Amino acid sequence: MRVLLRILAPVLGLGLAAVGAVLVAEVVAAWVWSAGPGLLVPWSAWRAAVEDIRWREPAVPLAALAVAVLGLLLVLLGLLARRNDIVLIGRGVDTTVTTSPRVLARLVGRRVRAADAVAAASITATARKVHVRAQGRDRAGPGLRETVHVEVDGVLDELSLARRPRVTVTVQESRTVSELASSPFNTAASANAGDERSEEFT
Amino acid sequence: MSELEASTTAGPRRRARSAVARSSAADRSLAVLLGVVLLVGGSLVALLAYGAFGSGRATRPLLDPLVVDSLRAQPVLSRVVAILAGVLLVALGLAWAARSLRPERQPDLVLAADADTTIVVDGNAAADAVAGQAAALPGVARARARMVGHREAPALRITVWLTDEADVVEVLLLLDEDVVAGARAALDPQPLPVAVRLELAAAGSRSGPRVV
Repeated sequence: MRVLLRILAPVLGLGLAAVGAVLVAEVVAAWVWSAGPGLLVPWSAWRAAVEDIRWREPAVPLAALAVAVLGLLLVLLGLLARRNDIVLIGRGVDTTVTTSPRVLARLVGRRVRAADAVAAASITATARKVHVRAQGRDRAGPGLRETVHVEVDGVLDELSLARRPRVTVTVQESRTVSELASSPFNTAASANAGDERSEEFT
Repeated sequence: MSELEASTTAGPRRRARSAVARSSAADRSLAVLLGVVLLVGGSLVALLAYGAFGSGRATRPLLDPLVVDSLRAQPVLSRVVAILAGVLLVALGLAWAARSLRPERQPDLVLAADADTTIVVDGNAAADAVAGQAAALPGVARARARMVGHREAPALRITVWLTDEADVVEVLLLLDEDVVAGARAALDPQPLPVAVRLELAAAGSRSGPRVV
């Protein structure tokens, strides 16, 4: 989103400037040489056309709705192109430490997977919420959820995040080794690295 | 208050926050403004066309003779308003485009300045030195640094790519004590706000120090 805005911003700016320049040039030209055909734009032909078209004709609302949808997309682009940084408490007032949800997800995932009782895990992290889906090993007891929770809390404590995200843990039934091989948790290539959330799978 | 004044008088915390990344607030505001104008205009025209403001109005031509007559009654005023609107659009559009195309400032560091002598360190050189030191820290795969802000109020932006084995807390501690402290001491008593960005090196990347 931010890249799209970076590309679109100068294009939109130059577009606005071009519209303004044509408007000024045409009005001045029409003022100086009254009833001319138009300097850059064939106003006379356009004027004849719009004098014939009525508001209720089907093309008018369609074009208007297309403009409205374009406006809606621009509004959404402007609202969604904000940074979704995760802020860590830096050392001293003049240091700011930030990272991305993707990095937080990988740090949490690394710690959770290192736990003996965890066979596989997938993590979804945003600045507000960390969700862990963990799968235990055969010998993992009923305390798997607490184990994962403690590991995640440990990572968050170490990082000392400025705003601590809510942690949720979902524990899945443990599977045998052959089932694990065909598990969707193993599809590492499907990792979702979207703007708003970051997931990773093992 | 101008942008320069605002950044030189702002507190170190605020300057460190604003050094995190180039601000896109102006681009976003203008995109939303333009979007709202298009959205409202398009919606009103569609409502008019569907007869929401009366079916009689919907049967009138786009270029209504009533509107044309009222414009012709005040020809000079209409033209001046149109020209002013055009000039405003040109100014706004060019300012917007220039602002988003302008590269981010990389200020040089003024180490000492008196009536006769000014000692200035090139911003790129200072940032490269910091990046080199940061990349040599244990747990850091590579590092990048640049000076941002104004010459009167510089700030440092450091991005470090951590290895899989990195201890985040230790890296931050060493970065602050070994790397940033040196740069701050050189600038003393002027404060040097720092924005650190943590990234993870791609899996399988070499873990040795590397400077980019």
